[in-house]
Amino acid sequence: MSTTDGPTPLPGAKASQAAADRQSKKGGAGTSADATHKKGLFGAWSEKWQAMPRQKQWLYLIVVVLIAYALPVINPPILSTEPGNDFPLALFSMAVYALVAVGLNIVIGYAGLLDLGYIAFFAVGSYTAAMLTSPDSPFVKIPYLWTIPLAIVVAMCVGVILGIPTLRLRGDYLAIVTLGFGEIIRILATLIPAMKGQVGFQNVGRPPGEGADGIPIFANSNGTPWYWLTLTILIIVLFLAGNLERSRVGRSWIAIREDEDAAETMGVPTFKYKVWAFALGAGVGGMSGALFAGQVGFVNNQKFDIVTSILFVAAVVLGGVGNKVGAVFGGALVAYIPLRFTAIAEYKYLIFGIALMLIMIYRPKGLIPARQRLLAYGQQAYQRVRETSAKKSAVVTEKEV
Amino acid sequence: MTLLELDDVSVHYGRIQAIHNMSFTVDEGEIVSLIGANGAGKTTTMRTISGLLNPSQGSIKFMGEDITKMKAHIRVVQGISQAPEGRGIFPAMTVLENLDMGTFGRKDRTGVSEDLDRVFTLFPRLKEREKQFGGTMSGGEQQMLSIGRALMSRPKLLLLDEPSMGLAPQFIRQIFKIITEINSQGTTVLLVEQNANQALARAHRAFVLETGEITHSGTGKELLANPAIKEAYLGVG
Repeated sequence: MSTTDGPTPLPGAKASQAAADRQSKKGGAGTSADATHKKGLFGAWSEKWQAMPRQKQWLYLIVVVLIAYALPVINPPILSTEPGNDFPLALFSMAVYALVAVGLNIVIGYAGLLDLGYIAFFAVGSYTAAMLTSPDSPFVKIPYLWTIPLAIVVAMCVGVILGIPTLRLRGDYLAIVTLGFGEIIRILATLIPAMKGQVGFQNVGRPPGEGADGIPIFANSNGTPWYWLTLTILIIVLFLAGNLERSRVGRSWIAIREDEDAAETMGVPTFKYKVWAFALGAGVGGMSGALFAGQVGFVNNQKFDIVTSILFVAAVVLGGVGNKVGAVFGGALVAYIPLRFTAIAEYKYLIFGIALMLIMIYRPKGLIPARQRLLAYGQQAYQRVRETSAKKSAVVTEKEV
Repeated sequence: MTLLELDDVSVHYGRIQAIHNMSFTVDEGEIVSLIGANGAGKTTTMRTISGLLNPSQGSIKFMGEDITKMKAHIRVVQGISQAPEGRGIFPAMTVLENLDMGTFGRKDRTGVSEDLDRVFTLFPRLKEREKQFGGTMSGGEQQMLSIGRALMSRPKLLLLDEPSMGLAPQFIRQIFKIITEINSQGTTVLLVEQNANQALARAHRAFVLETGEITHSGTGKELLANPAIKEAYLGVG
């Protein structure tokens, strides 16, 4: 049979294959050095990670999480953004961006729907929190913490409302339409009197509790508790996203991303699952918006511009499309760089632009590619489909003998 | 027994009509071939039967039931499975993951391993490569995977869109042999081809499509012997 005809293998698939081959030949002499050389630092790490037993992985995870919680207290000298920016507040900002990137990764990374207007859901979440807690708002006031689940629900509804008419479009057309979402929300905030345009809402609520000196624990200037709250939510969302991607829904999303028509002819209700991806992504976006509004304490229509929306996409692409760990990394990095290097903060879009181009050329699948997840799923499918099949073929060979 | 029945079906892309009042039937146990040149409407016909396109007129019946308005992903559960043109495999999934996706619409988990065995018996090459990523396989292997994946839903009617496209001659013969084998195991096959020679030789019945209309029909042998078809599609003058 000819091996020269047919479509050229995708460069990404080729790399993944090479990695998978190496994994199956684990322990073979000379292969690991080659792997380190080809995959770079992150690739080598993720391969080592795959090779570890489950308990060891958990142990490392716990250590990483503990370090993450301790960061604002330790305030490590080189990492720290001070004196330019308050480090705990910077950490909060990184955690919010990471959360946004994890949510957007569901839409872009799993289901392959390029959403350039994700800021819309972030804005919906922010306004939900602001309008239900700020004294400037004419609406009913509720405790701030209740606005977080409410922001998820409202953003999900907006996601479904925007998704149903637009998700019939594909690829570039969808991207162009989503570009309008962010603008729609921003213009609505200007036009509808109750949303108070540029004047906005001050004194957005905060979680309850006061310190011994009578200052609220979740004061706007106190980043540490906000960071801890957001980090906790981020960990929960990561956990849920991890379960989701291994589920039937996750498999459908990946099939849709790879080939929508083929997925449909395999029996995947593609439209339904695309709307689901949109809604779940929107929910996470709305939640991030509510957290952001609470910490900043002020919401108006100036905060939700298209450039920020593109920055969200950049975070996902930077980290590695389809990889939730990559998304956390990308989101945190996009927030961190301008805060840490204040001298170059003005040029952040230039720098991210160049960084994105370099990544597209040298690491088209992002800093941390999404390979490991698919492999994990492969092992699962392997076990499920082969369980009885193995027994059967054993019987067959016995007969043949 | 009639398995599939198209009655007066027309399909439009916007204002352009691709299929004109097409009617034909496929009986249970048959191999039926649709042959025609580029742009004759072969793939359009397949996508209409699998549900990816909606006809602007006419009706489609499957096992006596009207499925004209049924969504593609439900037609799979009813027993229509398609190996799409250009193979449509999932490049970043392994061979096994691809085959597993083929069972997505199935309710019974028990028959899956049986069907996997069947696919691996038909295509031993896939078993050798079960952990390989779909995107890294050769064209012929991808074609095997595409057909194998379509079989994983245990279809009553298998739609094959240009199974020989881009393949080496000796492999074309092999894939047609496998198609005959699949058919002899009880799956009805509707196949669309430009490779008229093989498609007609293997088919029980065949139709010739020209610019969205059926111009000839008959048994595979009749059409192979027809001088007009010989000249137009078999390259024999």
